[in-house]
Amino acid sequence: MFTNGMFFALVGASIATALAGFGSAKGVGGAAQASMGVLSEDSSKFGKMLVLTLLPGTQGLYGFIVGFLILVNCGVLGGAVPTMAQGLAFLGASLAIGIGGMVSGFAQGKAAVSGIAMSAKDDRNFSKAMVSVTLVEIYALLSFIVSLLVVISVPALKI
Amino acid sequence: MKKVRIVALREDRKRLLEHIQDSALIQVRKVDKSEKGFSKVNVTSQMKIFEKNVTLCENSLSILDEYAREKKGLLSSFAGRKEIDPDEIGEIASNSGEVINVCRQIIDCNRTIIDNSAEIVRINTSLAQLEVWQNLDIPINTADTQSTAVFIGSLPKMYNDGELKTALAAENPKLEFEFEIQHKEDNLTCFVLFAPISQKKMAEDVLRTLGFAKPMTGTSHTPAVKTSRLTNKKVQLQNDIERCEKAIEELAEHREEIKVTQDYFRIRADKYNVINELEHTKHVFVINGYIPDEDYDKLIKLCERVSTCYIEAEDADDDAPVKLKNNRFSKPAQSILTMYAAPSHADIDPTPLLAFFFYFFFGMMFSDAGYGLLMVIAIGIVLKAFKPDEKMRNNLKLFQYCGVSTFFWGLIFGSIFGDAPVVLYNYFTGAKLTMAQLLPWPTLDPQKDALVLMIISIAFGLVHILVGMGCKFYICLKQKDWGGAFFDTGLWMLMLIGFAVLAAGIAVSQTVFYIGAGIAIACAVGLVLTQGRKKKGIGKVVGGLASLYDVTSYISDLLSYSRLLALGLTTGVMAQVFNMLATMFGKSVVGMIFMIIIMIVGHAINIGLNALGSYVHTMRLQYVEMFSKFYEGGGKEFEPFTLNSKYIKIKEEK
Repeated sequence: MFTNGMFFALVGASIATALAGFGSAKGVGGAAQASMGVLSEDSSKFGKMLVLTLLPGTQGLYGFIVGFLILVNCGVLGGAVPTMAQGLAFLGASLAIGIGGMVSGFAQGKAAVSGIAMSAKDDRNFSKAMVSVTLVEIYALLSFIVSLLVVISVPALKI
Repeated sequence: MKKVRIVALREDRKRLLEHIQDSALIQVRKVDKSEKGFSKVNVTSQMKIFEKNVTLCENSLSILDEYAREKKGLLSSFAGRKEIDPDEIGEIASNSGEVINVCRQIIDCNRTIIDNSAEIVRINTSLAQLEVWQNLDIPINTADTQSTAVFIGSLPKMYNDGELKTALAAENPKLEFEFEIQHKEDNLTCFVLFAPISQKKMAEDVLRTLGFAKPMTGTSHTPAVKTSRLTNKKVQLQNDIERCEKAIEELAEHREEIKVTQDYFRIRADKYNVINELEHTKHVFVINGYIPDEDYDKLIKLCERVSTCYIEAEDADDDAPVKLKNNRFSKPAQSILTMYAAPSHADIDPTPLLAFFFYFFFGMMFSDAGYGLLMVIAIGIVLKAFKPDEKMRNNLKLFQYCGVSTFFWGLIFGSIFGDAPVVLYNYFTGAKLTMAQLLPWPTLDPQKDALVLMIISIAFGLVHILVGMGCKFYICLKQKDWGGAFFDTGLWMLMLIGFAVLAAGIAVSQTVFYIGAGIAIACAVGLVLTQGRKKKGIGKVVGGLASLYDVTSYISDLLSYSRLLALGLTTGVMAQVFNMLATMFGKSVVGMIFMIIIMIVGHAINIGLNALGSYVHTMRLQYVEMFSKFYEGGGKEFEPFTLNSKYIKIKEEK
């Protein structure tokens, strides 16, 4: 049915972008709700709240970058049309950031909500809250790097 | 830091305190117990008055903002405080009474507006209730006559004449009545009912069972009269509101004076707060405080110039606050340090190291020559145009230095607004160049050489961590904690270096690999032998072995630096995406317009998102990976007795 791996590569691009984006959307959404609660009391905290709200947003970016690099490498925006095996490899690579990004997005969103509550009570807690929230990010990063390393090396693979 | 004690004549108190406050040289130290012969002067009541005036000014300013918004530029929040001559203070002081009166007027007007608005809401409710009674030609409060009971009210159901008659009769056939329906709508019938006074009780019962309710607004006038009266009153109240609003708008011209006056009272309140802490005798008073060593001479000169006084100083103890001293390069990063914690006396001041790594890592993550240049220029302009206060200036400088680093990293990664130069070149000429071909110097493309860049990132991480541990080593040596220095820190540093050599050996040669492995194993043995030294018996062996488990934390620390690659890549790829989108609309005029719009908006978004990401993650690398190795914190910052003003600052005397 398929003569080349284009379909699977595109599924991979979608998975990476959509799942990671889903995680970030949920994370940022929850954090934004919490920060708006704080802002309704004291709008001068906007800058700090914005930082904490945006922290769970990076997963979506990572997913998008993996998706974009797949598009660049699979013949849609450049590169050669992948073979079946290469297409499947793209698909496999995208799972890491897709799933890792989604779940860490949820988790970071929850951490961000608590961080917002903490720095709403006392401004001096802000840097601690910020650092604690970024602790979650390492797992999204690791997923991203695995996906990235595979995606950029697939076109060179003779499979 | 020195502990200083200034003894001066009481008659000089005002002058001396004012000069000390202007110069911001000392932090006043609170003394709990008075020495014999000394006592404190209670000026709380004056202080309260000043503070009340501050609040008064503050409130009136926020009211002014509400009714006559100040026209502000987008960037005006960068602007520094207004500079005034020391002589102008006297003028402000003599005007302050008048200004406070203006504030009172503003607040009174505001109160009238609030009260009237509330009254209008009440009137509106009454009017709504009266509306259904407009046709009634007797007052709602009409009392029973000698022979007839009068009921005015409503039932929660819609009736017409016949239905109401039936309903009433059904409840009690004996009741004699006459009624007139005034108004009916869904679920409401308003009517007047007359019954013989002898049957009043009976009528009440009947009406109650049907759910009769009297109107909320009772009045002894007919509803029509009452309505017109209320409407008149409403108009009057509204006029009042308008008059007050206009009055506030007119008073808005005093805004600057109010700001200055607020600062004047704030400064005075601060001064009286200090006077409260001072020790007095009949003729002299004493200021206790802390002063940084280098400012001591300045203080002596100042005091001798303005008063007759005696100053003594001694070296401060460990409770003393800490003043960080940094050069122009590292000063901007001081705020990053104090956001974490001010250094205690056991710590060294890590600001220079922090500053270097902060600029370095930020640049690596943001990594775009175009964005870097933009940051440097934009901040340069803001600094020139607005002359911000010191704190804001330092924050801006921080990003300016980061911008320089971003610029150079951008050149290394071959990224200038992403790949904008080649995209534009290809767009106009139809060529198919790449950045690497265009730039005359060799670049390191994070997309192609991701693995190389990741190794480089982790290598930088290793250096960063080793520097952190080096600080710990130095601190331990300074405290003569030899075990802590050589066993706890030194062995681990050597071990990490051993691993690095080992890793390099995999790529370079077998011999290097064995040397690295040798170092690592030797250190591991050393750790097993020394890490249990504070425990007893079997604990010595277990403690030693268990300490090797820490290697996992070092590995996760090192891997954390892969974010340098990830964020660097993110900036570049996002910029490329926007460039690609921008050129998608072809070479027509419309296409060009779209291109310009998309480029500007896209790169603005990219700068916003990734500058934030780079800032946060650089900070995290400093706090979590580096500071955890050596930094204790918990010191108190030096907070000098100064002009704690919002709008004005006093020009320094030359």
